[in-house]
Amino acid sequence: MMSGLQQQLAELVGETNLSADGAAHAIHGQLPTLVVTPGSVEELAQSMALCYEARMPVVPWGGGTRQLWGRPLSATSFVVIKTTRLNRLLTYEPDDLTISVEAGMTLGHLDQLLAANNQMLPLDAPWPERTTIGGLLATAIDGPRRPGYGTARDLLIGIRVVEATGRISKAGGMVVKNVSGFDMMKLYLGSLGTLAIIVSANFKLLPQPRATGTLACSFAQPAAAFAFAEAIRASYLTPAAVEYLEGWPVEAAATTITMLVRIEGLPAAVERHVRDLSGMAAHAGATAVQRDPPAELGLAWAQVANVAHPLTATPGELSLRLSCLPGALEQTLAVLRDLARRQGLLLRIDARALSGMAYLRLVGDEETLRGWYTAALALHPQLSLIAATPALAAELPVWGVAHANLELMQRIKQEFDPDRLLNPGRYLVG
Amino acid sequence: MPHTQLIDDLKRIVGPNGVVANPDALMTYDADGCVMDIGEPQVVVLPTTAEQVSGVVRLAARYGVPIVPRGAGTGLSGGATPITGGIVVSTARMDRILQVDTRNGRVLCQPGVINWELSNYLKPYGYQFAPDPSSQKACTVGGNIANNSGGPHCLKYGITASHVLGVEMVLPDGQIIWTGEGAPALSGYDLTGVVTGSEGTIGLVTAAWLKLTRLPEAVRVVLALFPTIAGASATVSQVIAGGFLPAALEIMDRLAIKAVNDMYRLGLPEQADAALLIEVDGVEDGLDDLLADVTAVCWRNGAIDVRPARTLAEQNQVWAARKNAFGAMGRLAPTYYLVDTVVPRTRLPYTMEQVGRISAEYRLPIANVFHAGDGNLHPIILFDRRDSSQNQRALEAATGVMQVSIEQGGVISGEHGIGVEKQDYMTLLFSTDDLAAMAGLHQSFDPNDLFNPGKVFPKGRGCGELAALRRAGVAWESLKHGVN
Repeated sequence: MMSGLQQQLAELVGETNLSADGAAHAIHGQLPTLVVTPGSVEELAQSMALCYEARMPVVPWGGGTRQLWGRPLSATSFVVIKTTRLNRLLTYEPDDLTISVEAGMTLGHLDQLLAANNQMLPLDAPWPERTTIGGLLATAIDGPRRPGYGTARDLLIGIRVVEATGRISKAGGMVVKNVSGFDMMKLYLGSLGTLAIIVSANFKLLPQPRATGTLACSFAQPAAAFAFAEAIRASYLTPAAVEYLEGWPVEAAATTITMLVRIEGLPAAVERHVRDLSGMAAHAGATAVQRDPPAELGLAWAQVANVAHPLTATPGELSLRLSCLPGALEQTLAVLRDLARRQGLLLRIDARALSGMAYLRLVGDEETLRGWYTAALALHPQLSLIAATPALAAELPVWGVAHANLELMQRIKQEFDPDRLLNPGRYLVG
Repeated sequence: MPHTQLIDDLKRIVGPNGVVANPDALMTYDADGCVMDIGEPQVVVLPTTAEQVSGVVRLAARYGVPIVPRGAGTGLSGGATPITGGIVVSTARMDRILQVDTRNGRVLCQPGVINWELSNYLKPYGYQFAPDPSSQKACTVGGNIANNSGGPHCLKYGITASHVLGVEMVLPDGQIIWTGEGAPALSGYDLTGVVTGSEGTIGLVTAAWLKLTRLPEAVRVVLALFPTIAGASATVSQVIAGGFLPAALEIMDRLAIKAVNDMYRLGLPEQADAALLIEVDGVEDGLDDLLADVTAVCWRNGAIDVRPARTLAEQNQVWAARKNAFGAMGRLAPTYYLVDTVVPRTRLPYTMEQVGRISAEYRLPIANVFHAGDGNLHPIILFDRRDSSQNQRALEAATGVMQVSIEQGGVISGEHGIGVEKQDYMTLLFSTDDLAAMAGLHQSFDPNDLFNPGKVFPKGRGCGELAALRRAGVAWESLKHGVN
């Protein structure tokens, strides 16, 4: 029998855009009561208003690639609101190097639109063919080119959201510099849909580089690879990406270490970088330096970007994110590696070597993984679990420990979603 | 409330030398660089530590007196003006650079550090603080954070918000918090991001970890002269559209050229209607090719001369002229009103044409010195404040510039902030629901509206009222019934 809410939603978006079959939208094994896919911002807002009236919790859903992240929902029944039909291009003026798109557009689609004009939004989020702009922003995931271009935080210039009550609001604009009103973009970015659902976003764009190059530098020891990273940091060179890979690709031995460096810019500048970087790698003790490694090595940038975020939670596997000061990365990884070895766990590392970000993958039995995470948090509180089995996600502190300013964050949450209807329980706050 | 009691209490917190209560001395603090509005503070305090700031804030909360944060007072939107009185908290004595940490790419400093002094301090280390407002020789990093104020080099290096890694701040309830220290992507809401550009309305920054930017290996500067401002603007639009990535693209028009010529003896031809300052930087390799490409765009758009600044001294002179152009305006008129707006970069040529029209319409000369590469205009309306007719026309001309900018898809402030100057124009840009969301953020920090009250939000649409509207769910009611 149809509930009142189901009937109202069906009338609003049409039967075909409403489903009571939640199986494809499970979150840590929890199934939604309904899945609604609005066709416009107004429909989405009205769907939210209806759920609000029924005090029905809502889970925003884009491409579904990052729904493993976060704790299980604290609600027993909930509605999934999908943004996939909000996939329109709103404004694109190539000569302004700005674009406005709806939140359900995939990053891959956006990349295509931009490539046609030799432009780019260099965010490199994993799984671009599925990752939506809204999901990318709500999770604030980064990509390998972080050192060169920053993250969405640096490129997002405007936003439109729908709040829990169904109210639509915007902030920012279509210009690259703006202090007209508060920077609400920063508030919604990375808030995991706990303050509002992002429905459209404006970005500043970059021209595609005239030349590119990649260097794969092999090292026998982490210390040598990080000595190379330190030499880069201290130089005048400005590579777009400096990725430390240990145990990647999966076919390689767990001790394989590659520093993958990407260079983008003017042709002469790229050649200069290749020359200097090759010399610096050799000086740091690289065992091999290869320019533009062949695809069969499994080190294509698209593959590397995907490493951070697995699409499924595999029993006996734990994926997590580490955040620290850039200069502390080598030491922090050493401590965590040591802990993994002592407990007999297989560890693979993908680190943004200049940025203090790392993605770790651990393989072992569940009991050992649980023990490792707990011990690791005691050594380094800024860890976040990004993929784990439902049991572990429910039990372990997914967002790390020892957080500052929780009370203030709770006040923000209280102001935006006092009834705790948006993604309840999943984020650090709310 | 007994005034003397408040002053005595403040002296106990910051010491007798940290309190200014003499009426003559207080007049120094009745406005910032925006002379259109003034307000007399009850008292000014100059704390030296976050704990002292916290003590002052707690005291103010107890007395129910507003706190008005103030850096160097170079702001142009009235952000530091005590419009409803209260306690002005000056960061002038919190001016120490505490730690340079190159390994982690960060520097820790107090809010009263002068932007220019910070970059000079960092030079021997091979680094800079990239945001470089034109007022950088006077303005403080605290003020830069409060207004998200950048300068010419934002074009390549990004806005100030991208250079603030974490701050220590005092909240309106007196609590001292740290929002981060430079580790990326912390779990939780981005408090560093929301306090940047919040114009002192939600917290008072008492220390900040700022991002270090490596000084480039090589820099090239050229000055291209154009017979029309349209030519210079079109060049900028085409350079951006062409995918060149210069470090800075700055335009000065004829009036500004004249002013800086008089002051710096640059010898720029005054028949040129516009000068375009172009800087490219990076590794040495390829830089000359890039400059040649950009210069070619200049020639295609009718440049009459392209003058390279060959030596470092020449480069510094060109930059000094650009950055001190506002100071040179005093040679042209007794008062100037600098309007800060931004338009999409393709709209620059048309918008500049409209600025010319506005100048003619209101019979006031307008000089232009601006961050063209970012589409960030700074029309400088020249007038005599003692003449009430000119005063009125200056205000109307400024409104005209804002209206044109909004019509062209732009916004009303790029880097100076809303303050009191532009608060009533916020409704041209934002709906009640947009403003209510901002008010919601504000209320979660400052529920009693004690920090810099009467700023940013439109007059008569206080943030308390806007937040109440939100809570009452007005928009939700209208949505439910399908009305707009």
